[in-house]
Amino acid sequence: MLETLKSLICTYVDADAASITPESRFADDLGFNSYDFICMLGDCEDEFDVEIDQAVAAKCKNVGELMAYLEGLG
Amino acid sequence: MVKIIGGIMHDCYPLTPAQMVHMYTLKFSPTHEIVNIGTGTFLQAELNISVLREALNRAIERSESMRLRIWRDPETEELWQYVVPYKNQHFEYYDFSALSEEKAHAILERWTSQPFDTFGGELSRIVIVSMPNGYNGYYLNVHHACADSGSVITFTKDVMDIYCHLMYDLPYPAPLTSYIESVKKDLEYPESKKAKRDEKYWQEKLSQPMPLFTDFAGTERLKAYRETTGRPDVRWCTLPSPDGSGGTITYDLDVDSTNKIIAFAEEHDIPTSVVILHAIRTVLSKFNDNAQDVTIRNFVSRRSTILHKKCGGVRMHCLPLRTIIDPANTTVLESMEIIKREQQEMFLHADYSTLRYYLAQREVYGMDMGAEFHSISFTYQPATRKSLVPYLKGIPFRCRWYSSGKQPQPFYITAMHRPGDGGLTFFFGYQKACATPEQIEFLYYFTGRVLFRSIENPDKTVQEIIDMT
Repeated sequence: MLETLKSLICTYVDADAASITPESRFADDLGFNSYDFICMLGDCEDEFDVEIDQAVAAKCKNVGELMAYLEGLG
Repeated sequence: MVKIIGGIMHDCYPLTPAQMVHMYTLKFSPTHEIVNIGTGTFLQAELNISVLREALNRAIERSESMRLRIWRDPETEELWQYVVPYKNQHFEYYDFSALSEEKAHAILERWTSQPFDTFGGELSRIVIVSMPNGYNGYYLNVHHACADSGSVITFTKDVMDIYCHLMYDLPYPAPLTSYIESVKKDLEYPESKKAKRDEKYWQEKLSQPMPLFTDFAGTERLKAYRETTGRPDVRWCTLPSPDGSGGTITYDLDVDSTNKIIAFAEEHDIPTSVVILHAIRTVLSKFNDNAQDVTIRNFVSRRSTILHKKCGGVRMHCLPLRTIIDPANTTVLESMEIIKREQQEMFLHADYSTLRYYLAQREVYGMDMGAEFHSISFTYQPATRKSLVPYLKGIPFRCRWYSSGKQPQPFYITAMHRPGDGGLTFFFGYQKACATPEQIEFLYYFTGRVLFRSIENPDKTVQEIIDMT
């Protein structure tokens, strides 16, 4: 899942995929704004075939937290 | 699809839903300047005109959407778009430095009222200008079918970055992304899983009890409409727009006040746009007998991916942001959380076609032609918050937006950060038949009072804030 998430992230922000880790914070480290992040969640729904609760997912501050949330849905 | 236009073969693509909104506007507007966007970009510095010409040419070469044409098939009436090859242009130079500020800007405003030949001609015009008080730069007039505020800002930044590279040997900016790629993605959307989810979301919205029209000018317009139509319970209203004649009034919020809003937003993890929306919807509620059900039409940039941030073109969709808030039993922070959640969901489903939604809304509720539940359209443009051209630190820099004298929206508030100092500027675009400058001034100051009372007292109820203002 991490690799898929990395490639999704790289379509939204100018980041080096190799440097993205579960600890990478969306806003502070990767440069996401709230709108970008919400839109990426939409792509996650397609990519992982899950239905995301916006209010819960929006609280994920780093890649690891989002992975854990998405894995919980699967 | 390949089409032969004027004897030349072009790869043609259908127009996107975002572009079709402007074609719809043109269909009902007697004049085509209604879709013009006029902007001026000026530095208070000497400019090398030949280098600026070169920078403009290179920026156009890099931008597919700045070379866009629209073609109407004479046999089928279908609309198509295509990109013409780059051709070097000699941009004219005008010296207005001896004029007053007022006269110089009036000329650029007049130029903005010159319509384009939508179906066949060039869709942008650029001239280099010297303005009073030592400001120099260029004026751009562009058709809304090939640009929105986001793409104008992207183009502006590209021109200035290229200029700085040519003049001062600073790094050459990274390439822009392909507009045609973004069009292809938009055209694939109807068959996607996302389109099905968006359809479900908006159909659910339309299955809810009917919204209520809340007017920025109070309840009189709805009352009069109910009386005129003989339907005392009708919940929608039409806003008069005989020919779209209108203008734009701008208010600059000082930097300190802007920073207070941003600091509050960051502290509470609320988007800046939501803080502003809270103030606008609270005012609408107050002006409409403390209505709990308020709808504002929210414009969405749809520029989240790298492709979409830098591809140019027009991508804006506008969809309703409806919130139901009881002022007496909801704190400011709770109100903002409700708006935030609603806005996030709306953003997630904002690829849905604007025209498709509003046509469905009319059908579901059996609304009159031209009737709406919202009186205010709103957009927040965060792109200019950071310095557009960091290399020019210290050099006064102005971007000015000019009205064409026609407004497609009856009443449209844009909040945008000034490229120079980052302070917020509020643009009130209005149709003269719908609003007066006095109403707008009152609305601006009242909204400001609500906004600052709210961020100073986030734990008070919305009603308490209203009572304080």
